[in-house]
Amino acid sequence: MQYYMGIDVGSLSTDGVLIDGDKNIIKSIILPTGASIKKTISRCRDELLLTDDGGKIEPVAVVATGYGRKRVEFADHILTEITAHALGARHLFPETRTVIDIGGQDTKVIYLDEKGRVADFAMNDKCAAGTGRFIEVMARILELDLEEMADIAINAGESVEITSTCTVFIESEIISLIADTHKIDSIASGVFRSIAGRIISMVSNVSGKSPFTFTGGVAKNRGMVDAIRKTLQGDIFVPDDPQVTGALGAAIFALIHVKG
Amino acid sequence: MSKIGITTTIPVEVIFAAGETPVDLNNIFITHPDPGEMVRNAEEKGLPRTLCSWVKGIFSAIIANPDIDTIIAVTEGDCTNTLAMLDLFRSKGIEVIPFAYPYNMNRDTLNENIRKLEAYFGVSRKQTLEMKTKLDGIREKALLIDRMTYEDNTISGLENHISLISLSDFEGDPDGYEKKLDLLISKAKSREPFRHATRIGFCGVPTIFSDLYGFLENNKARVVFNEMQRQFAMPYKTDNILDQYLNYTYPYSFKRRIKDTKEESQKRQLTGLIHYVQSFCHHQIHDRELRESADIPVLTLEGDKPEKLKERTRIRIESFLEMLSLGT
Repeated sequence: MQYYMGIDVGSLSTDGVLIDGDKNIIKSIILPTGASIKKTISRCRDELLLTDDGGKIEPVAVVATGYGRKRVEFADHILTEITAHALGARHLFPETRTVIDIGGQDTKVIYLDEKGRVADFAMNDKCAAGTGRFIEVMARILELDLEEMADIAINAGESVEITSTCTVFIESEIISLIADTHKIDSIASGVFRSIAGRIISMVSNVSGKSPFTFTGGVAKNRGMVDAIRKTLQGDIFVPDDPQVTGALGAAIFALIHVKG
Repeated sequence: MSKIGITTTIPVEVIFAAGETPVDLNNIFITHPDPGEMVRNAEEKGLPRTLCSWVKGIFSAIIANPDIDTIIAVTEGDCTNTLAMLDLFRSKGIEVIPFAYPYNMNRDTLNENIRKLEAYFGVSRKQTLEMKTKLDGIREKALLIDRMTYEDNTISGLENHISLISLSDFEGDPDGYEKKLDLLISKAKSREPFRHATRIGFCGVPTIFSDLYGFLENNKARVVFNEMQRQFAMPYKTDNILDQYLNYTYPYSFKRRIKDTKEESQKRQLTGLIHYVQSFCHHQIHDRELRESADIPVLTLEGDKPEKLKERTRIRIESFLEMLSLGT
């Protein structure tokens, strides 16, 4: 059996996926990137390629993606996250026309043509508002963990409108809202809605259309998924493990282009 | 000898015909050894953080160059901040001469505005036209460099950019500038053609990033069309000053710039466009219009302070080039 490896070195997590020649996922792994990228990359490879009996799989090809992709010295090819997420999402949901990927420190919206090729994309450039890190900061201010924040936002009767567009200003706006005795659940809902509003604007910028596939670590957050579903018109798919979609796309690229 | 500061392309024929030396303040700013310092200086003197860095750079360029005692400020057809800046310059004791490109492209109004400029400098229309003939000869050479960029592929995107953009003031010395162009033409004729696979068009306003062209070339892409810069070469042949500055697309409706970009994209077989917008600049409004009209993929880049490309912007460019190379 031949195997292909994809590795996505992100700002917060490093994800690895191993697939076979039929594009079946054999194994996946998610590690915190931490301060030592080099060590994390090695660990990701070693754990991913370790067999149950202690042996080691030799992949036919390795493709690296993510912001740290150039640090993967053993990669046969490097790929940008845009292409990787597009390939991964399209493999999981072949009818996908638009990918929404929210990672630790960036947000991407990728528009695909009928054949699944990237036709346009938008990425946050100068601002971290609306990323995974942003949600973590908001949860901390609300004194909730991410699960609690999602739960109360989904069940909130109403959403407070959050008007600031900068993470720092939103932080002070939320503190003011708390002081004004707004309910925590409606503030939590407002946070997710404000991110969804930014996503809609990015979707519009790339003329994105349904069906959408929501990928990245933030797609694990049910509060965010709920806000996207309530805001965007159309079908929205969420993979079982959305965080490894980029690594999956890299592995598929390895299979198709590198040693296919 | 005093110099006449300009904030964008104006009928520079009038200035040279008067024996004066025009200086494009944008060029002073961006070629300064530390343009970031010029922006910081302007902020320290009270210009807001949320103001275009080019405007702040122009402001500092004037302060740093006391030999510039007169400025021609384009009050219609360029930066929307100019009117406020005009007051600021006057308060610093600098003489400001307003000039306007009429948005409705009214020929009589433009004629009147050029006449006012001629009257200020004591220049006749005949003298203006004589200078136009001289400058057109130099512009022809810059346009040859432009053709060598996309036909012969022997001129880099950065060389193209510099050769064309400097036509706003001919570096204050048309004869000297012509020699520079001659030298580049002769050097490029003995070069092997560049073999970059991806042909990029650059439109919008000139970039404040210092390494964009080089970064593209290191990633197998080359700029073979600099939209606004090419307009500085007055690419449409004319025998009178009014047609020349009516054909010049930059000051008027953005639709003409889109039309020009689409025509040149086809002619130069571009694979993608980079639309550069400056933070806090009104031109950002045009981005959607360009993206919807373009026949090829568009990447919008936004710059703020003069600096090298940051990692996130580099990732966006690499993603765009990868998208183009994998085919859309």
